[in-house]
Amino acid sequence: MAAEASVSSPIGTPVPRVEGKEKVTGQAKYTADYTLPGMLWGAILHSTIPHGRIVRIDTSKARAVPGVHAVLTGQDIGEVRFGRALADIPVLAYDRVRYVGEPLVAVAAEGRDVAKEAVALIEVEYEELAAVFDPFEAMKPEAPLLHPQLAEYRWGGQKRGSNAADADGHFHVLETRGRNVVSYELESKGDVEQGFREADLVLEHTYRTSIIHQSYIEPHTCLVSAEPDGKARIWASNKSPFTIRDYLAIDLDLPDKDIIFEPTWVGGDYGGKGSPLPIPIAYFLSKASGRPVKVVWDLAAEFIAANPRHATWITIRSGLKRDGRIVAREVKMVADSGAYAGYKPIPGAVIVGSHNALGVYKTPHARFECSIVYTNHVPAGHMRSPGSYQSAWACEADIDRLAEAVGMDPIEFRLLNGVEEGDEGPLGEPWSSVHLKDCLEAVRAASGWDQPKPPNVGRGVALAQDRTGSGASTAQVEVDANGRVTLRTTVMDQGAGMLTVLAQIVAHELQLPVESVNVEVMSTQAELYDWGSSALSVTHAAGQAALGAVVAAREKLAAVACEMFDCQPEEVELADGVFRGPPHPLPPDGEGSGRGVSLAEVAGRACVGGEPVVGHCRYDGWKRHYGAAFSAQVAEVEVDPRTGQVKVRRIVNAADVGTLLNPIGATGQMEGATIVALGHTTMEELRLADGRVQNTSLREYKVPTSGDLPAIENILIHGHGGGPGPYGSKTVADLALIVGPAAITNAIHDAIGERFDELPITAEKVYRALKAREVTSEA
Amino acid sequence: MRDATYHEPTTLDDALKMLDQYGDDAQVIAGGTGLILGMKQGLPSAPHIVGLRKIPGLSTISKRADGGLDIGALATHRQIETSAEMAEYCSAFARSFAWLSTIRIRNMGTIGGNLVEGNPSYDPPPVLMALGAQVVLASGGGERTVALDDFFVGVGRTACRRGEILTRVVLPPLPATVKLGYSKFRSRSVADSPTVAVAAAVDLDGDRIVRGARIVLGAAGPVPLRARKAEAAIENQELTTSSIGEAAALAREEAQPVRDLRGSAEYKRDMVAVFVQSTLEDLARDGISNGR
Repeated sequence: MAAEASVSSPIGTPVPRVEGKEKVTGQAKYTADYTLPGMLWGAILHSTIPHGRIVRIDTSKARAVPGVHAVLTGQDIGEVRFGRALADIPVLAYDRVRYVGEPLVAVAAEGRDVAKEAVALIEVEYEELAAVFDPFEAMKPEAPLLHPQLAEYRWGGQKRGSNAADADGHFHVLETRGRNVVSYELESKGDVEQGFREADLVLEHTYRTSIIHQSYIEPHTCLVSAEPDGKARIWASNKSPFTIRDYLAIDLDLPDKDIIFEPTWVGGDYGGKGSPLPIPIAYFLSKASGRPVKVVWDLAAEFIAANPRHATWITIRSGLKRDGRIVAREVKMVADSGAYAGYKPIPGAVIVGSHNALGVYKTPHARFECSIVYTNHVPAGHMRSPGSYQSAWACEADIDRLAEAVGMDPIEFRLLNGVEEGDEGPLGEPWSSVHLKDCLEAVRAASGWDQPKPPNVGRGVALAQDRTGSGASTAQVEVDANGRVTLRTTVMDQGAGMLTVLAQIVAHELQLPVESVNVEVMSTQAELYDWGSSALSVTHAAGQAALGAVVAAREKLAAVACEMFDCQPEEVELADGVFRGPPHPLPPDGEGSGRGVSLAEVAGRACVGGEPVVGHCRYDGWKRHYGAAFSAQVAEVEVDPRTGQVKVRRIVNAADVGTLLNPIGATGQMEGATIVALGHTTMEELRLADGRVQNTSLREYKVPTSGDLPAIENILIHGHGGGPGPYGSKTVADLALIVGPAAITNAIHDAIGERFDELPITAEKVYRALKAREVTSEA
Repeated sequence: MRDATYHEPTTLDDALKMLDQYGDDAQVIAGGTGLILGMKQGLPSAPHIVGLRKIPGLSTISKRADGGLDIGALATHRQIETSAEMAEYCSAFARSFAWLSTIRIRNMGTIGGNLVEGNPSYDPPPVLMALGAQVVLASGGGERTVALDDFFVGVGRTACRRGEILTRVVLPPLPATVKLGYSKFRSRSVADSPTVAVAAAVDLDGDRIVRGARIVLGAAGPVPLRARKAEAAIENQELTTSSIGEAAALAREEAQPVRDLRGSAEYKRDMVAVFVQSTLEDLARDGISNGR
């Protein structure tokens, strides 16, 4: 049987957040809200130099402070390193420090102020070592080698010290790419050199992006209780409990089931809450003190020691025919890993979305390479669309140059070269459900692309696609004897609204109102494996798991309904919360026929001995799905020629979401991503000088506020499915983020005729470009 | 954040006695938007905090007999922004407070606390200096009045001595011929401190000759700066494109900005010129500037 499409279906309707009331009324509990009996507070002393050998740490004064229960250095813990694929991050610096901000000593005390006071009394003596901050310098043979023991770290593998990468010669490849290279990837199609020979024009430019902090409201926070039975109970502002549990189990040498993550709300993520950060430190403090330990990072620690977005250098070389057709494109990308690489899922992925540097164009010959290089900067991790943001910006800013070189309108150039259904992507990607033209034409029409503009006003366009992510998730749907429906999941909804979508799916399949679905987020002990709220995969994986679970529960109910109706399973229908059997003559006892039976009534009968009906589904969606989610944006900006300030006046987005599940959620994601793009393009950057972060507060590190926002219009293209998510849905999360920066950059060019190859495009950079032009024209 | 004892005296005399009693161990708190933030960031703070809000009369805004205005030190930014007395005295001044930080800060922060912080990037100091404001400092030994021009000494340093409390701001009578303009340039987010700020008060006679001018630069040096050469360049002559251009160029030289995340020193100098020019142009045109 199948659920009938019904006017009352919650799929595609603007369902508000299931957790909205709880959050708005302040009832939602975040990690910092939890307290355990006897709990201590942890505080951390961070390194003050970018690179050095630890000569001496004197903790005697800190230990003497009343209320201090534990003081730990790297030597106390031993050389324990953790990391996602590469375990290169010491819990506390062991023998040397590699960046300003590296955790060096940890204190657990009765009260946060006491812990901080003790930290202030610790004396450290270093022997400073030469530091390197530029990845190109770091690759030179004479550069200081930051990780001499790289080959000895756990890399992939299942045990401490095991090395899956070594076997396939990965280290050998890295050594050939330069000193301090920690990841290298090369992919190609055709023969780019041949392509460049065939081209009439060859252009090459380098694009640069900065380190960016995610700027979530809730800083990294955890509460860890190392319990006498050896188990570790953890509350943490984190979105990937199982992933982190599994590698901490390896690196801390614990059985994975002994690491228990309890569910809490996450106060913002933007990609930055998928790493353990202070969790291992709090674990060791708890073990040493025999008390639960809470660590709440302050914002300064966030800016110097969390896992910000990678700075990148992206060189794109393109070969074109005079008529505008792209023949070859080559991308050389270098990313600044900072001091460690353990926050990234390398090897296996570079920073996942970097292939976007080749764009969405028919490209006979293509080559992509990316090196990630250790430096003495804060270690980089993930932020919304890691790699994609940087590379899609570079690609689309570059595409405008190509269009200009052949004298074509930027939209016409993209339409000429853009892939169509059946075309393969630049690296041979077998994209399907290609709605590139729909997106471009939608923004062209809605933005008034061809309309006249006042002076200093410009419009820019950008185009990209995202691949709905792979992932795995597990869901359980329970229907009790009273017909009450509960969805159990371990998805950490970090604010994107996944739990609401899951509830919609369950409600749709049971033909019930969304409010009647109770959503429970479970501890990892429930063993409902979920890979984490990452990589554009949640609606896909958790959605399919919820769908599978609810269908399984419904089938069980339907079987009972069949008995009641004395009919075949395919004859049962469920609509508006009522099962109906086929119209046929009354059976002897008259039960069940010719009338509907409510879901609650069927459930009452199905719950034999009071045991609820349970549907369970683990969904593994690891196979790469090429149903492409395209998006396009036109940005309209105004440049103040006196100051160089760029004011974004209007943004028009079009995005192909396949099937629209929740218009509030989808539009919210588009708006949020647009705002992130605006900030990244015009103001956001972690400014470092000699390895020291200069802006360590939100007073100095600026993100857009409501007063900075333009009018944002979102056109959602849907109704055709084509994605791997429930009902054919595709990713929506970052579709506006990957096009936004280039659309704004191209609009600035349209306004004043200047191109910018470095983000953010600050007022001063624009001012200097205009000034330089004045000087040139006067000369 | 260190533990501190909070005192809440109900008279100014009691407050001043506490300051005498605790000396360096005492610190005054008004709205707390600066002090609390500093304490949270671990900046040194005193073990005795003396709160002023129980002292009656310190937040009053009232017209003076001479036509000027008294603003109590505890008047909040929001109070000034919405005060009828303030609007009657100088609506451009009241409006300039609408741009100050966020509504949360405006509801808590006070004019007295703002001035005593000695932050050259804050909005009120240049505007008040352009209007020729003075501040009254009370101590056990009585009161003294200091021109705001002489009040700011360095970053975070003012003429307010230990044992003194800033009790009110005194604005002189404002002839109807005086026009005030304030421009605040924020190069990044609108919720940022200014990259540079320019306040200008110009007294124009019937023939549009400048009888007197005060041009004050914010966020362009260790203290809010009077651009005296720029003022001289427009005084006793008509406000023209050429005199305004000259004033802008001179102000550019008088500025002492330092590089930060909002721009290089050179850029800020250029922006001082841009905003002195636009502020004066606006005043020449319609008397009141509300430009960004």
